[in-house]
Amino acid sequence: MAVEAPPGRMEQARAGMRRAALKRQVEAVAAGSGDRLPIDLEDGAFDVATVVAEVAWPLQPQSASLTRLVVALHRSGVADAVVAGLAEDDPLQLERCCRILGALRLEPAVPWLAPLLRSEHVAVSDRAARALGRIGGIRSAEALLAATRRAGTRRTLVVALARAAPDLFIETVLSSRRRPGLLGAAALAAGLRRRHTAVGPLLALLDSGTRRHRAISCRALGWMRAGTAIPALTSALSDPDWRVRMAAAKALGELHAQAQFKELDLLLTDRDPRVRKAAKQSLLRLGNVMLSRDWRWAWR
Amino acid sequence: MLARMWALQQAAVFFTLPEGVLRALARRLRRVRIAAGEMIVNQGEPGDSLFFIERGRCRVVVEKPPGLVTVAVLSEGDYLGDGACLLNRPQQASVYAQSECIVLTLDRQSLHAVLGSRHASVIEELRKVADQRFRAFADTTLQATWGTLLHEATVVGVYSPKGGSGGTCIALNLVGSLSRRYPGQVLLLDLDFPYSHSALLAGLLPTTCLARVGGVPPESFEEVLLSTVLYHAGGPMILPGALKPEEADEVTPELINRAISVLRKTFRYIVVDLGITITDSTLALFDLTQHIVLVAAPELSALKSAADAIDILLQLGTPDDRLAVVLNNRTPKPAVSRPAVERKLKRRVDIEVGFDEMRPEQAAVDGTILSLTNPKSEITKGTDSLTTLLEAWHGRSSAAARTGARSRSVNGAR
Repeated sequence: MAVEAPPGRMEQARAGMRRAALKRQVEAVAAGSGDRLPIDLEDGAFDVATVVAEVAWPLQPQSASLTRLVVALHRSGVADAVVAGLAEDDPLQLERCCRILGALRLEPAVPWLAPLLRSEHVAVSDRAARALGRIGGIRSAEALLAATRRAGTRRTLVVALARAAPDLFIETVLSSRRRPGLLGAAALAAGLRRRHTAVGPLLALLDSGTRRHRAISCRALGWMRAGTAIPALTSALSDPDWRVRMAAAKALGELHAQAQFKELDLLLTDRDPRVRKAAKQSLLRLGNVMLSRDWRWAWR
Repeated sequence: MLARMWALQQAAVFFTLPEGVLRALARRLRRVRIAAGEMIVNQGEPGDSLFFIERGRCRVVVEKPPGLVTVAVLSEGDYLGDGACLLNRPQQASVYAQSECIVLTLDRQSLHAVLGSRHASVIEELRKVADQRFRAFADTTLQATWGTLLHEATVVGVYSPKGGSGGTCIALNLVGSLSRRYPGQVLLLDLDFPYSHSALLAGLLPTTCLARVGGVPPESFEEVLLSTVLYHAGGPMILPGALKPEEADEVTPELINRAISVLRKTFRYIVVDLGITITDSTLALFDLTQHIVLVAAPELSALKSAADAIDILLQLGTPDDRLAVVLNNRTPKPAVSRPAVERKLKRRVDIEVGFDEMRPEQAAVDGTILSLTNPKSEITKGTDSLTTLLEAWHGRSSAAARTGARSRSVNGAR
């Protein structure tokens, strides 16, 4: 008795088998046991880019496995096809190409990826930003910084900038102060990168920046766990702007600044409820359950 | 652009690059100004850039609780960040700007994009230097943690009055032999001018030298000098005198005196390769040495020069028993026999090194030190005997025994 499969299931199964076969081939090339990589970017049955990205994602930059993969892709003409694919109009195709280029960390593709940051399709520009973030280097960082100048402080751009920026790149942007519009994004990226070389420029920004910049600096210093910034953050608790006070309170909580318990305690009587909430959360974070009677009253 | 290219060219590994590639690298460099006291690199964090110092001085500090150890002071022409950038290791040390600095940064992606597979050997050389520096810093930190040695080093000068007698080979292998007994405590100071090749013969790539330390202010002289010392994996340390022939003039007697006085506090033995010429610097060193090893080949011209050199040394006041003559047989059948050599030199030969076939030449090509790698080699046997001789005179136990014997004889006389 023959059992007929439901319509579409066979196609799904075939696509799944082909996908698994392609993944095995890509893995074989990365491992050095194969050198053929027959990739068809137009294949509609499954997402080729996802397969390549899955294999390439855990590989270290400049590692032998990644180099083998890139060489095989160049040899089979896929690398050129992917770069050529960046000129397509189809957003889905553009996303796939960006994904492959990012996964393979193809630095020469940066000039072709950079214009996609201006794409009207948010998904495409986000994918291009992620690819540039993964590729990294000075050219990627410059492109992302230029996109931030145009599009403002977008989350994807800031995260990509934090990943792509080479050493001292963000610190230079923060110190130069030539482009005030970029300071916020740069400070956020510095916080995400968590490099202590940025502590000095962030403290300078906290000292003399606008209220927005001061607030961002506080958050960034907190993310970085910059213990040396505790005195400056404690001073920021008495800033006239509520955003700065709130950010400083949160940062001190992240820094586990036990010695600043009193100052945070005082903030529980702040005129702004958001500051009070941040102070409360930080105090809870400090692990201090000895809540004073006064602030329990204030909290009620 | 010219300043950027100059900064790149100061790194010895970039010498071989064609100008076009250097220009491409220079275009990707980013100039960063750093105020005095600011941190450039933080220990333990990842890094992805090389920093070429265009102007100013930086202090390399290893934070090892309970204190800090300054392992190097870098200045114009040096670069840093190579360990993290090329070896994917966390930053080994923190680097602070000592004065206002201008550094040129080159990120890893740009380096690989420009050099690519065509100049992969340069990246390999950079990795090698990075690894060398990593080990040197680790060793310096360890030494600093243990504390400096209590006694001052013995300075041994190796002098061969005729080129091709194997003076550098003997000096290098003597250092190897001594460092088997005292790893990390034996230094080879290469003053064989104008071409100092000891580091290269040992498979090390020098990036700076004694000549470049001359202009350093007295307060940071010791740190800078110790940071120029190269560390060989087998134990010896090497300090090149000059990297370029024109730098040889900058190694003055005064600089040598300053350097030796610093190095003596840090090492157990300092072997100085004096080369073939007798200059003011060589004479200054003769005054500082506790033992002189004279290397001669059994050839007529070499023996004539050796006899003259022995006369000069004795006139300079070198005690006869502090002069060791090494007869180095460079051919299977020496032209002059040992008794004839001794007659010509009017003194006995202390150590005779047998013909070692092609091993020294092969070791030079491989960048290895025979006394560390091949115990059967004639050179190894010769330098081991020389080490025993030096130890008999200058070893800690023998020195103590001599002191004890002297005090006993004094007491006996009383």
